[in-house]
Amino acid sequence: MTALGVPARVRTPRVTRVVPVAAGRLLRLELRRNAMIWTLPLLAALFWFDTYRRATGLPPLWTVRGMAMQWRAMFEFLPFVAGVAAWTGSRDGRRRITDLVGVTARPGWVRQLSGWAATTCWAEAAYLGCAAVLYGVTAAQATWGGPVWWPLAVGATCIAAATALGFAAGALLSSRFTPPLVVVVTLMLLVVVSPSANSDAVGRLSPLSTETLGTSAGIFHSFIPDLSIAQLMFYGGIAVAVLGALGLPAIAGGWRLRSAAAVVTVAGLAAAGTGVGLAGTSDVTANGVVIPALHDTASDRPTPYTPACDHGGSTIPVCLHPAFKTYLPALIAALDPLLGEVAGLPGAPVRVTQTASLQFDADATIDGSPPVLHLTVFVPTDTVPNSRYTTDDFVDPPQLAAAATITRTLIGVDSSGGGSPAQQAVAAALLKAANVPLPPPGVGLPTPGQMPPAGSPAYAAAQRFAALPAATRHAWLAAHLSTLRAGHVTLAQLP
Amino acid sequence: MNDNIVITDLARRFGRFKAVAGVDLEVGAGVFGLLGPNGAGKTSLLRMMATVIRPSSGRLRLLGRDPGSYGPRKEIRRRLGYLPQNFGHYPSFTVAEFVEYFALLKEMPPQRIPAAVASAIERVGLGDRARKKLRTLSGGMLRRAGIAQAIVNDPELVLLDEPTAGLDPEQRVAFRALLRELGQRATVVVSTHLVEDVGAACTEVALMDGGKIVFRGTPGELTAGAEGAGAAGDAPLERGYSAVLAQARATAAAAARS
Repeated sequence: MTALGVPARVRTPRVTRVVPVAAGRLLRLELRRNAMIWTLPLLAALFWFDTYRRATGLPPLWTVRGMAMQWRAMFEFLPFVAGVAAWTGSRDGRRRITDLVGVTARPGWVRQLSGWAATTCWAEAAYLGCAAVLYGVTAAQATWGGPVWWPLAVGATCIAAATALGFAAGALLSSRFTPPLVVVVTLMLLVVVSPSANSDAVGRLSPLSTETLGTSAGIFHSFIPDLSIAQLMFYGGIAVAVLGALGLPAIAGGWRLRSAAAVVTVAGLAAAGTGVGLAGTSDVTANGVVIPALHDTASDRPTPYTPACDHGGSTIPVCLHPAFKTYLPALIAALDPLLGEVAGLPGAPVRVTQTASLQFDADATIDGSPPVLHLTVFVPTDTVPNSRYTTDDFVDPPQLAAAATITRTLIGVDSSGGGSPAQQAVAAALLKAANVPLPPPGVGLPTPGQMPPAGSPAYAAAQRFAALPAATRHAWLAAHLSTLRAGHVTLAQLP
Repeated sequence: MNDNIVITDLARRFGRFKAVAGVDLEVGAGVFGLLGPNGAGKTSLLRMMATVIRPSSGRLRLLGRDPGSYGPRKEIRRRLGYLPQNFGHYPSFTVAEFVEYFALLKEMPPQRIPAAVASAIERVGLGDRARKKLRTLSGGMLRRAGIAQAIVNDPELVLLDEPTAGLDPEQRVAFRALLRELGQRATVVVSTHLVEDVGAACTEVALMDGGKIVFRGTPGELTAGAEGAGAAGDAPLERGYSAVLAQARATAAAAARS
C-alpha cells in the first residue's frame, strides 16, 4: 500500500444542482452491473421457444401478433423479471452492506430507485427487443395495417409493476430465498389468474385477458384501447405506489423526500384504484371491450379498406379483406368449383365477400339483391408452440360454411338431415362434384350435408347426378331448382 | 481546539444489554485510537458516530452538527468516511466502480469523482487492480477497497472499525502511513484491538471496557500505565493496555462491592 505524496483534497461537496448528472452516473453503474443482464439469454430463449413460435404460427395480423406479446410473453417475462428485481432489491441485505450504504448522504430511496430502474431498463429492453423481432417478422408477412402498440404498452407496464413488486419484496425480505420465492409466487399468480382473466369485469385487468381483441379489431375496425388504458392505469399505478412506498421509511430520506414518496404512493394507489373502477364498468362488445368513460365512438366506425378480389373459372368474384390477401388464391380454389356448379341459378351468389366476424368461428350467409355470399373467417388467437396456422386452416372452415349455406339456401337441405331424399342426393352430388370435403363429425366445423348411406337409392341417385357432365347438371338445376327447393322432386325424377 | 466529535454521556442499549454506558469524549483532528477487548462497546460507539444507529441517551455532536436531525445528519454524512467491521461489497463491481459508487452516494460533485476515485484507489495501493472485480480480490485487498471508499470524498471525519484486519504486515505499515496522513487534516477514529496499530499511528487513544471509557491519553501514557504493574504482554503498549484494563476492572469491581 502506498500513500501518495500529494493527497487529492476534495472540497466539501455541495449538492443538488448536480443531482441529475449524479443520478445518471449512478444509473449507468447499476446498468453495467445489473443481474438482469445475465438473464437476457434465458428470456430470449424462452421467448423464442414459446411466444415467438406460437405467434408466428398464427396469421400475420398485427392485432393477433401484438396480443401475443401481452398474453403469452407475460408467462415468460413476469416471473423472471420479478425474481431478478427481488435479487437486486435484496442485494444490500444479502451482501451485508446496509450499514455502509446507509450512512451515505444520498437518500436511500434514490439509491433504491436507481437499482430498480436499472433492472427495469434491462427487462424492458429485453421485452421490447423481443417485440421488435416479432413485429419485424410480422411487418414482412402482413399485408395490411400497421403495428398495434397498446398491447406492448400494457406488457411493458406489467413488467415495470412486476419489477417494482419484486424489488420491494427483496428489499423487505433480504434473503437469498426471496428471489426464487418471488418467481414461484408470480408463476402461481399467473396460473391462477389465467382462467379468471375473462370471467368478470375486474378480471379483465389481467394482462392475460383475451377479450381486448374482439374478433376483428385492427382489421375491420380500429383497436379499442379502453381496456388497455385501464390496464395501464392499474399496473402503472401499482408500480408507482410500490416504488413510492419504498420511500416512506425514515431511512429513505428527509421529510421532504418522504412527503414526496407519500404523494407518489397515494397517486399510484389512486391510479390503480381508478383502473379497477374503470374495468368494473367494462363491457364486452363485438368489437372488443368497451369502457364507457374512456370510449371513443370513433373507434367503433369501420376502418375503410379496399378488398382484395379475384375470381376463378366461375367468374364469380371472391373478395377478402386485404389483411387476408395471401389466402385469396387458396380460398378461390376451394370455393370456385361449387360456385361454378351454382353460378347463374336463381338465388345463387354473384359475389363472395368477407365480412367482420362476430365470433371466433367461420360462418356464411347469402343475402341481398343480387345475392351476395358473406363469409366470416376463423382467426385463432393462440396456438401451441409447434403448431402452425396453415392455409388449409384458413380455407376449410369458410369453404364448408359456404357449401352449407349454398346447399341450404338453394336446394333446401340442412346439416341436420332436413330435406327430401332428392334434395339430399343433389346436395351430396354437388359437394362431391365440387370436391368439398365432408368433415368427420365432431370436429366443430360447419357440416354442409352428408353423403346418403351407401347402397341407398339416394346414394345411387347422388352418384349418378354427380357423374353427369357439369353442363348437364347445371342445365337440369336451372330448370328444376325451384321445384327441387320446394321438395317436389323425387329421386326417380333426378337424371 | 476545534473538536469534530463531542460526546456527552452517550449510551446505547440493545434490549436489556447496555453496549455503551455513558461515554464522554471530545476528539479533534488527528488519529484517535479506540482500544478495548471484544464486547467493550467500540463498534457500537463507532456506529453511533457513523450515524448508523441512534444513541439511546446522551448527546452527540459531529463536525459541529447534531446528527439527530436529517439536514445536519446529511451534511455530516457528506463529510464522513466509514469502514464497518463487517465490510460488505458488491462482488460484480470493479474496484473503481465500487469506489465511484460510494463517491456518488456521498454526493460528491460528479466532475470531481473520476480524479477522486483514481486517487483513493492509488492511495490504498490498488491502482493496478482498479479494473478487477471485487470477487477476484483477496481479503486484504477487499479491505483496502473498503478503505478507498471511505476516503474517496476526502472526509473530515473518518471512522474505521478494525481496518487492518486481514492486511499483511507490509500493507499494515503502509496503512498506518495513510492514517497519519489522513490525521493531518481530519479526525480519524480507529477502532481496533491491535495495540501496535495504535502505537504506530495514533496521537491519542481511549480504552473501552464494559461500555465505558476507562482510559484516555497518548499511547505513551498507556505504555506508562504498565510500569510496576507486572502486566502480561510482549510489547510495552500491550503491557500498558493489560495493566490499565486490569486496574479499571478492579476499580469497577470495588465500586460494585461498595
